[in-house]
Amino acid sequence: MVDVARSVNLFEQIRLVSALRWRILRNSLRKKNNRLDLIGLIFAGVFSGIFVIGLCFAFYAGAYAFLSQSRLEWMALLFWAIFLFWQLFPVFVAGFGASFEFRTLLRFPLSLRAFYIIGLAYGFADFSALASICWLLAMTAGAAVAKPGVLPAMLLIVAAFMLLNVTLERLIGSWLERLLARRRTRELFLGLFVLSMVSLNFVSPLMQRYGASARPVFLRLLPYLSWFPPSLASRALTAVIRLQPQGFLLSSALLLFYLVLLSVLLWRRFAAQYRGEELSETAAPARAVVRPTMAATDDGPDRLSLLSPQVAAIVRKEFRYLTRNGFAYLTLLMPPLLILIFSMNSAGWHLTRGGKGVSAEIFFPGMMAYLILILMAPAYNSFAYEGRGIQTYFTAPVRFREVFLGKNLMLVSVLAMEIALSLAMLVWRVGLPSAHMLVATCAAIIFTVVGQLTIANWSSITFPRKMEFGQMRGQRQSGMAVLVAFASQILMGGISAVILFTGNWTGNLWLPAEAFFFLAAVAVGGYFASLDELTLLAEKRKEALTEALCR
Amino acid sequence: MPEVAIQTQKLTRKFGDLTAVDGIDLQVAAGQFFGFLGPNGAGKSTTIKILTGLLAPTSGSMQLLGVDFAANPVEVKRQIGVVPEGMGLFERLTGSEYLKFVGRMYGLDRATTQRRSEELLDFMQLADRPKTMIADYSHGMQKKLALAAAVIHGPRILFLDEPFEGVDALAAGALKALLARMTERGTTIFLTSHVLEIVERLCSHVAIIHKGRLVAQGSLEELRAGISSEAGSKTTLEQIFLSIVGKDGTERPQLEELSWLT
Repeated sequence: MVDVARSVNLFEQIRLVSALRWRILRNSLRKKNNRLDLIGLIFAGVFSGIFVIGLCFAFYAGAYAFLSQSRLEWMALLFWAIFLFWQLFPVFVAGFGASFEFRTLLRFPLSLRAFYIIGLAYGFADFSALASICWLLAMTAGAAVAKPGVLPAMLLIVAAFMLLNVTLERLIGSWLERLLARRRTRELFLGLFVLSMVSLNFVSPLMQRYGASARPVFLRLLPYLSWFPPSLASRALTAVIRLQPQGFLLSSALLLFYLVLLSVLLWRRFAAQYRGEELSETAAPARAVVRPTMAATDDGPDRLSLLSPQVAAIVRKEFRYLTRNGFAYLTLLMPPLLILIFSMNSAGWHLTRGGKGVSAEIFFPGMMAYLILILMAPAYNSFAYEGRGIQTYFTAPVRFREVFLGKNLMLVSVLAMEIALSLAMLVWRVGLPSAHMLVATCAAIIFTVVGQLTIANWSSITFPRKMEFGQMRGQRQSGMAVLVAFASQILMGGISAVILFTGNWTGNLWLPAEAFFFLAAVAVGGYFASLDELTLLAEKRKEALTEALCR
Repeated sequence: MPEVAIQTQKLTRKFGDLTAVDGIDLQVAAGQFFGFLGPNGAGKSTTIKILTGLLAPTSGSMQLLGVDFAANPVEVKRQIGVVPEGMGLFERLTGSEYLKFVGRMYGLDRATTQRRSEELLDFMQLADRPKTMIADYSHGMQKKLALAAAVIHGPRILFLDEPFEGVDALAAGALKALLARMTERGTTIFLTSHVLEIVERLCSHVAIIHKGRLVAQGSLEELRAGISSEAGSKTTLEQIFLSIVGKDGTERPQLEELSWLT
């Protein structure tokens, strides 16, 4: 006879889920770098605590000041601040990978009601929710001290506001979960996120230029915000203080309407999940009626015929990987974008016309160094995205020197393209440097890139770390690889900087160019000489390499 | 005397204190369909990894098609095809791109690579999604693609680690036909599988590894004769396997141990 499990009540289920989350956290600290993780966690906890408690005082003081000075409309600012933090912080965190998969609970005998309530309870356990609740309570305390009679209404409003926020946060979370379940949208999301962060750099120069004209537009939009929950919460509180029951009822009813609407939407989302919504990466099955023609044929002339078939195959594969990595696209977009930002920030819009700001003699080598710093970084863990494909390099009849040649060739091509693009941007924004500086910098680029490639290839074999496309959380490079990259970048950059200045010190302006050409020749020779040694090293380290990348 | 495709001498692999492969002496004749069996953790995948160059042995030597692996790995790799444990696919390529990549890595010219990859994608029923990346393939589709990549250059020895796992019955039938055709043409196939019925149906010769040691090796008839003269030809491979693996006291778990199911 088969035993039937007794039904477990809701609170027991919530307790079990909490215990599960705690165990997941505890077990995650058992990994190799557990001590560092634990130290990091403690630091994060202390800093988060300081951040939350500090802002608690600020919210308390704000609420107290606004109510005691009868500046009631300003309370909306506090509600808006908490609302935005509660809703936006989890979105930013979600972009860096999934944490605990709430949907995995569906395998257990849960009712939809229990699933919904546990889902909401989960929402209250997030950092953003806990911090926001602390701040709301601090606000309530501040308001109650300023005007004790407002406490019951404030408690009601805050309770409704909390419930609304947690419902909205879960709703956005479940939409995001659906969105991020697919790799392409996950990458797109990550790309947009990073791009928006970079775009913040434009705010300052844009405000300088358009700030005055944008102000009236912003002020015209402001009244529309009063129909959103944070303003409604503030209006309800204002109505209570001003003894306007109609205003209180209207604002509260609207707040309640939002809550019901969001709850219905969240119930529908959770119901879809409960029924077993498909979120997998695999595309929906489709029956092919007619065999389609092959997407791309290789019938045309071989543009890489100068290379061996193996090296050409690796270059093609690297190119395809590059075109399918949204984050890599972003990295490529970054250097010209940063040149634009730096030239705007350091010299203003009319740099070339006004003649002020940094000179091209400094800006050009400086920007090239920055470009190399950004673009060379991935080379120090160049097998990061190979995954299980790394096995192919060991089972195929190729030597690792061909693998490195293919990979490095692709990187150098990308670098050349980026340098050309950045050079065009520099000419437009800052102007060209003198001929001797231009030639010396170009030779320095060859020296630093090729020199770093040798070290980066060694680092890639010695300190490999697997990375996933479109994810950042848990995507940590090996600490040693970062250290090696940092040290070699500093070394190459330092040597280059000293040599560049020798032209001015000695009075021989072409001396740096000559020195860099010599060093570039040495670097190229060293690079080719290192390939066989690196091949042997790769063979010795193949187990560590496959283990690190296939996990 | 038939040509020897795979030969190992005292092949050993240690991971710290654990000896995963313990001095095995394998001999596989060219053209054989060879099944390599063993319980979980017996050392099957480790052996295949060593034989295909994914793992270095701690000691011992091996020759594939008469060529010493350690002395000339590239020459040996040119002659073999592999479906490794993790399939070894570049998940950011499409099936067609991956096959072309592998074809070129094995030195096939572009036209041959193009023609063979089209034929293989058709045969494996993977041609209807030319733009789908491997990451978006189902497990079974990935398995079929890995097998296609392993045979694209016409290897003389094919190593397959659990090739039928996750593959549907229709595709499995086609794969078996493909493998049978390859052995007819002289290809040696070295296969591991937990599905003993498949091994029994496909393989002419079998070796059993248990706790890192080779405990049996020979044709199915030889193994049958080895365990019981009475049972004769009716003895299944599962019976042979259980009999050999159970010799050292390793027993099948007993249901009686689950008190709540009695």
